[in-house]
Amino acid sequence: MTLPIRTENLSKVYKLPGKQPRRALNSLSIEVPEGVIFGFLGPNGAGKTTTIKILLDFIRPTFGIANLFGQPTHDPSVRRLVGYLPEQPYFHRFLKPAELLSLHASLCGMSSREVRNAVADALEQVGMNEYADTPIGKLSKGLTQRVGIAQALVGNPKLLILDEPTSGLDPIGRRHIRDLLIKLKQEGRTIFLSSHLLGEVESLCDIVAVVKNGSLVTCGRPEQICSATTYLKVYTAPARSDDIERLQFLNAHIECRADATIFRTEPGNAYELFRALDQLGLRLIKVETERESLEEAFLRLAA
Amino acid sequence: MKSIWIIAKLSVLENSRKQVFHVLCLLILAVIAGSTLLSVFTEGVKIKMLKDLCMSCILFAGAVLSIGLAAGGVPNDVENRVVYPILARPIMRWQYVCGKFLGTVMTVGLAILALSVVFGVLIYYNQGQIDTFLLTAASFALLEATVIAAVATALSTATTPAIAVLLSFLMYLLGSIKIGYLSKLLDRVPDSLAKTGGMMFYHLLPNLECFNLKAALVHNNSVPISYLALVIFYGVCYAAFALAVAALIFKRREV
Repeated sequence: MTLPIRTENLSKVYKLPGKQPRRALNSLSIEVPEGVIFGFLGPNGAGKTTTIKILLDFIRPTFGIANLFGQPTHDPSVRRLVGYLPEQPYFHRFLKPAELLSLHASLCGMSSREVRNAVADALEQVGMNEYADTPIGKLSKGLTQRVGIAQALVGNPKLLILDEPTSGLDPIGRRHIRDLLIKLKQEGRTIFLSSHLLGEVESLCDIVAVVKNGSLVTCGRPEQICSATTYLKVYTAPARSDDIERLQFLNAHIECRADATIFRTEPGNAYELFRALDQLGLRLIKVETERESLEEAFLRLAA
Repeated sequence: MKSIWIIAKLSVLENSRKQVFHVLCLLILAVIAGSTLLSVFTEGVKIKMLKDLCMSCILFAGAVLSIGLAAGGVPNDVENRVVYPILARPIMRWQYVCGKFLGTVMTVGLAILALSVVFGVLIYYNQGQIDTFLLTAASFALLEATVIAAVATALSTATTPAIAVLLSFLMYLLGSIKIGYLSKLLDRVPDSLAKTGGMMFYHLLPNLECFNLKAALVHNNSVPISYLALVIFYGVCYAAFALAVAALIFKRREV
């Protein structure tokens, strides 16, 4: 079975005249199986956009292999199977959404009848029917983002490469797109999702890869990445500021609330924490354990 | 071919929003205003001067529009990032370049057609008969604009829009005096490395003078069909060569 995305030792070095070469990707090897939502995470400058650009043949790798459905990325015919949403999508502002989608459907090689159906279908999927004839330049950022997603859906692609798909959307719009992505996955499509909204990635993605400085840090199911550490959350009566000062030596995150002070630390620090709280006479309210979220795992891995 | 046509249509829509036609309206008004001042001359001289003015205007508009639109077409799309969703479709880079080029030529063609119609009516009004050769001369002005647009497109894929405009104008100026002045100038240069370099540049430069049928139009001279056919062949080959260079550069370019 051919994988929708496969990279092997993918490296990219940018050489700028008069400047030191900058390594944007460093032997990145990833495999994206069919029918999954694959989250691609990393801090700014980690190499996410560079990877996407190589996958779509906007730039060429300095070294390594990048394949889409078993074909090299420089083969344009393979892009018939791909829908792409760029980060902050820019389109010709004078075009109307229906015109833009029609243009992209035509570029996919559809007949005029297929184009009409594809445009109506894509607009329906992102809930943009009422804005079909409004110039894109007059749409809000969120609506433009929806047009971008509709554009990616045109051509019935088997693989969707989405760079920050919910950026600029309001909570309702985000929910709508999240439901749409789940529906697309259920239809058997593969979704390669680059996003900074980690809660969203955690709830949506089957597999998550974290990159840092152009290298793969980890790749696996969200629970595999997060389960390594469990945190202890200790609630006490509100502590005075001088008590907080005295507790700074603890390796704990302290959150002061009106009704309680919360100490969050790794289980290994429990004895030291409880002894310090006892010495200060802080009344214990409750103790709970908390699994590391993807956001925390991301910060731990990528910081 | 379908992809090229789709991109060309998009390019025409884009170009038509660049206030190109406002410039044309100004040119037309300037020529109409200028034509009223020609009444001081005798009838024969007046018609010749009017045709000269109209043809100069068409040639100038063709050159300016082709440089202005072609030099900015591809790099502006890259800079504005509108190129990404399009190149993510199953199209080849050369198809994109050819589509942009065709869109520029179609826009310039529409502009030259509009000017020709207005000037044709103006000449008819003054001369009392339709001058069909104006259409031939205007067609060759479009062919000249096509060659200029192809070179400007090639330059735009390799440099910034500003440098592409500058180099294209330089090419236009030198190409317009290639046979009449530049060749004589090079004959005077003693044999040296400079002369060899100059000759190489000379042969690479398009001969834009051959597309200019203004003198024939003004003096009602006939132009042999064989000459016109040769000029068409030259223009098409030169534009195709420049476009091939543009496609090759853009294929290798990282966007």
